Amino acid sequence: MLRLIWQELKFRRGAIVGWGLGLCFFPIVYIGIYPSVADQMAGFADLEFYKAMGMSLGTFEDWVASILIALMPLVASIYTITNGTGTLAGEEEDGRLEMVVTLPLPRWQVVTAKAVALTISSFIIYSIVSVVSLLVFQSIESQIETTLVAVDMFVAVFSAWPLVFAVGMLSIFLSAFCSSRRFASTISAAILVVSYFGNNLSNSTTELEPFKPFFLFTYLDATGKAVAEGQQAGDVTVLISIGLISFVLALFFFQGRNLTVGAWPWQRAKIES
Amino acid sequence: MNEKIIETHDLTVYYGKHRGIKDVNLTVERGEAFGFLGPNGAGKTTTQRVLLDVIRPTSGKATIFGMDCRTQGVEIRKRVGYLPGELALYKDMKADQFFMMYEYLRGANGSKGFWRELAKRLDLDVSRKIGNFSRGNKQKVGIVAAFMSRPDLLVLDEPTSGLDPLIQQTVMEMVREVKADGRTVFFSSHILSEVQAVCDRVGIIREGQLVATQSVEELFAARLNRMTLIFAGLPSVGTFDIEGVTELERTEKSVTLEVRENLPQVLSVAAKHNIQDIETHNMSLEEIFLEYYGKGNGGSHA
Repeated sequence: MLRLIWQELKFRRGAIVGWGLGLCFFPIVYIGIYPSVADQMAGFADLEFYKAMGMSLGTFEDWVASILIALMPLVASIYTITNGTGTLAGEEEDGRLEMVVTLPLPRWQVVTAKAVALTISSFIIYSIVSVVSLLVFQSIESQIETTLVAVDMFVAVFSAWPLVFAVGMLSIFLSAFCSSRRFASTISAAILVVSYFGNNLSNSTTELEPFKPFFLFTYLDATGKAVAEGQQAGDVTVLISIGLISFVLALFFFQGRNLTVGAWPWQRAKIES
Repeated sequence: MNEKIIETHDLTVYYGKHRGIKDVNLTVERGEAFGFLGPNGAGKTTTQRVLLDVIRPTSGKATIFGMDCRTQGVEIRKRVGYLPGELALYKDMKADQFFMMYEYLRGANGSKGFWRELAKRLDLDVSRKIGNFSRGNKQKVGIVAAFMSRPDLLVLDEPTSGLDPLIQQTVMEMVREVKADGRTVFFSSHILSEVQAVCDRVGIIREGQLVATQSVEELFAARLNRMTLIFAGLPSVGTFDIEGVTELERTEKSVTLEVRENLPQVLSVAAKHNIQDIETHNMSLEEIFLEYYGKGNGGSHA
């Protein structure tokens, strides 16, 4: 299986470099410009609109939380959704998966290799962005008022990765479940967007409060406090658990179904044991 | 040729309510080339995918090398080379990179680098990106991938599809070599002449059901002879009411007959009616195949 994981990682080389560098835009621009906009941002601290968007801009920590903890995982999740749905459903739709599953490999290894490769690639991407955030912070540290040290910045940015992991595994599960890439990516994207806005809006209105546990972003603390002190262990555990459960479901559904047929699970004939 | 390599028992696949294959029973023995014939949608690809455990049977059972295709698929696939009918490859890879990857994932098993020899034989430029290949060259990549591990069993779905005639001949030669080596080939094809040229036995599948399994010799032995008898004066209707003989057509001077048996009696009757000429026409495998399909009207699109 290690061979397959290695091969899957090789397929993702370009994506790792591209997304890693692309996401560095966030720390380079948003941390880099902070010294010049700090005074203006302080005035936006209590605007309801920004709160609804999950943003609080009063301090440097709030600024970092709003952009790098709240917004960046939303963008990074686009990578895990496109990659997670493309790797099973996408390859099944275009026929490449048939060449892989007819190799002398058990199906669980095929799913595991793809899930592990996606996890490692998103981990590397996030590591790159976290390191760049640390470096940019060091370059402006003397120009801003903050109690943060460089390693806090690395930890704060990297602490959003469990959410990206959870979204990636959800995508793999949907991809294993339904064989239609379009469906899998649409549902994954809907879960992501609803989670983001649902969680933010639930901070402004009590009507959404009952649904809060179902929003993935509920388990990602995007406040200045989290930047300084880190994410709650319980929240991280929930996100990692969602990812692992999704992975197990992906194994289960991929193991038992016909490939390259394109039928929905409920349209498939019952298989006699 | 006694060891059974492929065996299916009442193999049935339904896609929801749609029929894939139904109660397919076939046996392929070691060292033979078995041709699987049928029009699009008849169930050829479904059968092959069940053998490779890409599709699970609704009922029935398939075994390869005596092992269950569902539960022992990994062990089976170590010894099987497969060419899918709808071949899809990694377009961004060069052909040599693809073969190295495939070899790496399969494990070379003493066949390391054999793909180079096969690619050369098929006149395939392995230094080019697969995405830039023509359909025929992509098919060559698939063929090399299927043959490169020197498998005990080759399952080939329309192997010569998209290839030029010269390369088709080369592929058929490769199949003959596999056979001569005591290994087994199970392949589907529309091109009956190639089936006729390399296969020991053929199975004909129609609307998901195996309607005939015969050796190519038996199939030809059972062939129908058609003959057109030309007379100076046409004999009356009913002259050729002989068992095993069917009158197909009658013109001013000729009668066309389908003769399954009693040929000497037909000739004797014809001689009594001032016969001038005889035109005979032996049915090719293609025509025999069409007979099974009711002059090509059979087959569905599952």
